[in-house]
Amino acid sequence: MSDRDSNTKQEQSGGLLARLRRPSKKSLGGLLAVGFVIGILFWGGFNTAMEATNTETFCISCHEMHDNVYQEYKTTIHYSNRTGVRAVCSDCHVPKDWTYKMIRKIQASREVWGKITGSISTPEKFEAKRLELARREWARMKSVDSRECRNCHSLESMNTEVQKQRARKQHELALEDKMTCIDCHKGIAHTKPQGMTDEDEM
Amino acid sequence: MKKTMIAGAVGALLAFGAGGAFAAAPDWGKVDAKEITLFYPGVSPLEWIQKGTEHGGARALRKGETCADCHSDETADMGKKIASGQKLEPNPIPGKAPFIPVTVQAAHDGENLYLRFSWKQPAASGAPKMDDANPVKIAFMLESGGKVELADQSGCWATCHQDSRTMPGADDAKKKYVKGGSLADGKFYDLYQWRSGENKGFNGHVADSRVMEGGAALVSAEGKQDGDAWSVVFTRKLAGGEGDVTLEAGKSYNFGFAIHNDNSAGRYHHVSLGYKLGIDADGDVKAAKH
Repeated sequence: MSDRDSNTKQEQSGGLLARLRRPSKKSLGGLLAVGFVIGILFWGGFNTAMEATNTETFCISCHEMHDNVYQEYKTTIHYSNRTGVRAVCSDCHVPKDWTYKMIRKIQASREVWGKITGSISTPEKFEAKRLELARREWARMKSVDSRECRNCHSLESMNTEVQKQRARKQHELALEDKMTCIDCHKGIAHTKPQGMTDEDEM
Repeated sequence: MKKTMIAGAVGALLAFGAGGAFAAAPDWGKVDAKEITLFYPGVSPLEWIQKGTEHGGARALRKGETCADCHSDETADMGKKIASGQKLEPNPIPGKAPFIPVTVQAAHDGENLYLRFSWKQPAASGAPKMDDANPVKIAFMLESGGKVELADQSGCWATCHQDSRTMPGADDAKKKYVKGGSLADGKFYDLYQWRSGENKGFNGHVADSRVMEGGAALVSAEGKQDGDAWSVVFTRKLAGGEGDVTLEAGKSYNFGFAIHNDNSAGRYHHVSLGYKLGIDADGDVKAAKH
């Protein structure tokens, strides 16, 4: 009885290994289907999670953003305007392209550290750090030729004829000098920091 | 006979002389009019307009653009923003007129330049009077050849500094001036003013400091108020003495003007951007021979 049992076990294990070594077409297909579904679920989940971190709700879930920059932004044209188009935080601060978005998200992980250490946890701390933070973002925007602004705007598609005199003149000069949006539009959605120098303005 | 001839000659001379002074004044109804809107500038001196962190147009200014190139269409809006204290005015005066549209006309007769300013009196603010004697003062300045730094671009701003009286924290004795101001080098603004209370014209200049007297070009400055309509006519010789800009046909000059309305003084005036006055020449305001 015991011999038979051990033989059966050997047959079974040998059979499993053999089956794994030479899987049937059905099991291969099954595995592929399961892998595909898991892949979709993982990718979908990952993307959903990433998109969740791109929403305004997520961005202002921290009081640091909600009480400072968000309140300033709410008074600007990117929040409310005659056409009803709104640019939320991520539209300006997170690249749309997947690769650059991933890089930006990884960089943004340091903001979690900032949250933990409370580096801008009070209005006073925020003001003290505003210039440094703004300069970092201005440098990023300039380095990519104001890519996020250009997702919606471009000098080439601007009809300066219908702009106000001052805007027309400034945009014509910008085009002539190959400038980028952020060169002039610092403070377009948030209060300009105190202590800016001439270097901050070109 | 002799007496008659002498009397006739004297009469003719007097008539000619009188004609030179009065008969040449133009028929203003036939002179082209230019609308220029003065605005309340708050604290926006020469130093401010050149500061890129404060004034978005500082870069354009460095590139040679004029203030009017960007702002001539929006002076009324600028005045509203500043007079309300939204920008550039630490001490907003409730009810202060944000802007004053003015009609400017100019003509000359080969000897004199005639400048006429007319505008509607804005509502009084009811604020304490800064200049008790004069409800209204109007002044214009001329500069020749852009010898004063930024005169070609900024008009009167080249005389307006953050350390001049009535600016925040400034010395009360410090008046307008231009950088490197010197009559000998031609680095100055020729200044004319009419004061309503005193009913008097002044002809001075702004070089290293502002002086209200000393000019030899002003012939007359006459103003009148008809209801709420003001009109002031300056007559000045095209030629002039020290501290006067000599005006020549075929040339344009830097030109700006300002009104102290509502018994105001110092920086609490309404100002124009910098414009060009052409004497038989191109300009924002053209003085043609009549």
